[in-house]
Amino acid sequence: MSDLSPDAGRPGVIHDLGYRHFDGAREGTPAIARTLFVTGLRHAYGLGRSGKSKVMPFVLLAMSLLPATIVVGVVVLTGLGELPVSYADYTNQTQLLVSLFAAAQAPVLFSRDLRHRSIVLYLARPLPAPLFAVVRWASLTLAIFLFTAIPTVVLFAGAMLAGLDKSDQTTAVLKAVVLQALLALMLAGVSGLISSVSLRRGFAVVGSVMALIVLTGIVTVLQNIAYYEGDSETVPVALGLFSPWSLVNGLANAWDAGVDTPVPVDGAWVPAYAIVAVLLVAACLLGLVARFRKVGSR
Amino acid sequence: MGLAPVISTAGLTKHYGTVHALTDLTVEVGDGVTGLVGANGAGKSTLIKVLLGLLEPTGGHASVLGHDIEHEGQEIRRLVGYMPEHDCLPPDVSASDFVVHMARMSGLGASAARERAADVLRHVGLDEERYRPMGGYSTGMKQRAKLAQALAHDPRLVFLDEPTNGLDPAARTDMLNLVRRIGTEFGIAALVTSHLLGELEQVSDHVIVLDGGHLLRSSATGDFLQRTGGLLVEVVGTETERDRLGEALAQRGLTCRPRGTMVAIDPPPPELAEGGAVHDLIRDVAADLGLGLMRLQPDRRHLEDVFLEGGTRV
Ligand SMILES: Nc1ncnc2c1ncn2[C@@H]1O[C@H](COP(=O)(O)OP(=O)(O)O)[C@@H](O)[C@H]1O
Ligand SMILES: [Mg+2]
Repeated sequence: MSDLSPDAGRPGVIHDLGYRHFDGAREGTPAIARTLFVTGLRHAYGLGRSGKSKVMPFVLLAMSLLPATIVVGVVVLTGLGELPVSYADYTNQTQLLVSLFAAAQAPVLFSRDLRHRSIVLYLARPLPAPLFAVVRWASLTLAIFLFTAIPTVVLFAGAMLAGLDKSDQTTAVLKAVVLQALLALMLAGVSGLISSVSLRRGFAVVGSVMALIVLTGIVTVLQNIAYYEGDSETVPVALGLFSPWSLVNGLANAWDAGVDTPVPVDGAWVPAYAIVAVLLVAACLLGLVARFRKVGSR
Repeated sequence: MGLAPVISTAGLTKHYGTVHALTDLTVEVGDGVTGLVGANGAGKSTLIKVLLGLLEPTGGHASVLGHDIEHEGQEIRRLVGYMPEHDCLPPDVSASDFVVHMARMSGLGASAARERAADVLRHVGLDEERYRPMGGYSTGMKQRAKLAQALAHDPRLVFLDEPTNGLDPAARTDMLNLVRRIGTEFGIAALVTSHLLGELEQVSDHVIVLDGGHLLRSSATGDFLQRTGGLLVEVVGTETERDRLGEALAQRGLTCRPRGTMVAIDPPPPELAEGGAVHDLIRDVAADLGLGLMRLQPDRRHLEDVFLEGGTRV
């Protein structure tokens, strides 16, 4: 024993290095939050996860891109003077796919850590619970935004190829992008909150489908009934306040972004729609923060 | 020691509604391994969560590594590692990926995190399995993965909540050895809980006993031994080996009697109880006889006397 000096490096002997301390630099909270944000965004598309988890997001994305590529082909080949569908209306027309994406991927970011309790490992680390919730929401928001923005980019590229007026198209695209951002904030909030409460993936997906797809369908049907049966325009416009999609479409309509609603949204309804949209986002965010605060103290 | 204590609490109290999980706890924890012992519901996990800043105390104060739990929770969570009592591993992720991610969540850069994760997984003894999804792990492997994530960022202190829970005897011994190494070789202070009263004395320098949220005792493990006195020794083999050891120890002046497969030793005379001399003696005697020592622990029946002395139920 005693004659063995620590570096008696005999050939063929693998040295156990023993425990090594880490004395490199440690990142602060903002860098940790950024890492969590990027990881969350990747996970929303199944990147860095199993092959199986990439199927759903990319199949949905391909489905929402397919019509856009057809539109581009038609416009470029036939030399149409304008896109047959506005950028903002394209998102509206593919709303089923967008809602499905949000419903299917929100549990990845909001249910898994709670269901498997790995949340306690996060909360025992520097990021505080409220910030964790906000970062998760930001990841999902950007994931949903990209889902709607990618077809928009394809359409825009097609419009440019077809030689459509650049300044007109750019204005329309910018409007669509702003509306998509607002939409993404709302969809991420609603589907995230639902997923953080119903931890079973199936229930979370069904819950989000109810809130985003079924509710929107009901609102649209009621708006149409009210429009055709009633004689006031107030009821159908007011009904539009009750779903994220009708809120965004109403604002798109008011902003002349090329989306038709059962009745035009104008006057005092415009700020009302905007305020309700912002309140919805804020309420979801507060709900998420409260939820993660609560699980943190268990 | 002259150094600031690793943990110190003053009048720390935590009530969940009407449940008094911790009552007026004043205690200090130093370097090395500290065992936190108490029956289920004694308040061990609650104490850890309060110290991590995950739960707000109802009253009192505490500091961890010189940081106040009330205002500097984030700073504390940068410096400590936590192995929770319950399952907390996502089943569809490999231990390797998970530990890397958790190291990053503690502020390590991407390449440092990968390097540390590989190191730490090797230390806890997860080899090829570390690339497999954790859902397929045995309890022992899960506990190792949980421990690895707690060590990933090279903390100054780890909270290990019931690390031996659910393990078979062999895995339990492995885990306790790991805990010992964390305190000595790794140089990381450890607060380790167990609801088994006798289990932690072998690996801890200091033992804190909680009962119903009250501090029952806090003392160096040596004092515990002195106070409780007796020891249990088990060697590899049959009754023949047991009796050979017992007789040899009796010749050295210890009072021994067989108990099951073990030798029970009465409280040794003062000159042997001092500074763990009796441990050395037993080790030497076993070695002289060529007997493999399987177990050397304080006689648990005596440890339980601590509770009786405290005047409370166990
Ligand atoms: N979140 C909680 N809400 C209410 N009571 C709790 C909660 N957590 C623990 N308790 C109670 O507090 C006491 C201490 O629990 P705990 O700290 O988990 O003990 P131990 O870890 O020693 O088993 C128990 O009576 C337990 O039932
Ligand atoms: Mg416990």
